[in-house]
Amino acid sequence: MNVPSTRQPIHVTLPKKPKARAFRRGAKSVLPILLGVFPFSLVLGFAMKETGLSPLQTVSFAASVLAGTAQLATVQLYAEAAPGILIVLTALTINLRYAMYGLSMEPLVREKSILTRIFYAYIMSDQSYAFTMAEAEEHPSEQHITWFFLGASLVLYFFWQTGIGLGYVLGSVIPSWLPLDFTIPLVFMSLLVPHLKGSKRQFAAGTAALASLVLVPLLPLQSGLLASILIGMGSGILYEKHTKASKKEQKESKS
Amino acid sequence: MRYYAIIFGVALGSLFIKSIFLCGFSSHRLPSWITENLDLIPPAVLAGLVAPALVYAKTPEGLEVYLPKILAGAGAFWIALRGKNVLYTILAGMILLGIFSRFPG
Repeated sequence: MNVPSTRQPIHVTLPKKPKARAFRRGAKSVLPILLGVFPFSLVLGFAMKETGLSPLQTVSFAASVLAGTAQLATVQLYAEAAPGILIVLTALTINLRYAMYGLSMEPLVREKSILTRIFYAYIMSDQSYAFTMAEAEEHPSEQHITWFFLGASLVLYFFWQTGIGLGYVLGSVIPSWLPLDFTIPLVFMSLLVPHLKGSKRQFAAGTAALASLVLVPLLPLQSGLLASILIGMGSGILYEKHTKASKKEQKESKS
Repeated sequence: MRYYAIIFGVALGSLFIKSIFLCGFSSHRLPSWITENLDLIPPAVLAGLVAPALVYAKTPEGLEVYLPKILAGAGAFWIALRGKNVLYTILAGMILLGIFSRFPG
């Protein structure tokens, strides 16, 4: 009889702990995209092995930074014996988007200490950022949005590191016909859709997409992505100004 | 040692980039045209990441337009807009790419 009585309170008390609830919601929110993220980490681990990195080199890189695309680019450039400065600059350029993530997430973490924020910055990923911002918009009254962020980030972090390790150890088992690298844009695509509400955002996303198609192959050092992002945002701002102005004109001509 | 110097640069630089605004100045002090348009960051960044990856394939000569990816990407995007489940989007994209890449040319 003891067993059910000790189990029951867990289920009853959980809803009363809003932090734990937010954490769990965050953790659950990212589960579906693990199907896309996990293969990417496998590919990264495999690439590290192929490049000839030692286990210690792999682990220290995996542990020191969480930034998938930049990590893959670093490994590729290192394998091609590119100059060190160029490798670092490329990785940092790819990661410049995180500065903008930080900028838009800052209002959510305003009450946290600097050390906590640096920890958040360390575990922040494209996915945990996108899900947290979508959650904050859907439930503006959520008091513990940082716990949601922690839940999402830590689950992703765990599977990301496990995937790198598995990819390093078992890399050659992955069949080469499986287009695993294609899962990443698919993950980004499903992250994008919830952010396409409203014509201003749609316009910004559309312009950024078109600009990236032209600029990414053209500009050196992965700077095409950053340029496209700025063009997309700028055009979204101009678009809103323009529609506001034309609405004003309509109103004035009617009156 | 060269390897660890690179890793150190990437790690420290990334942490700096990731935390500069998250820790830095409060957005109260930012001009309003920035704070009012922060919501444009996720769609612009994600669209910029997605589009080239769905259109180009990496070849030794550089990036080349690759039709199977475009078709599979369009199909997956249609699914993403319809159903909300991320799983279906990824599965649809992978299966479609598997099918389309089998066509010659």
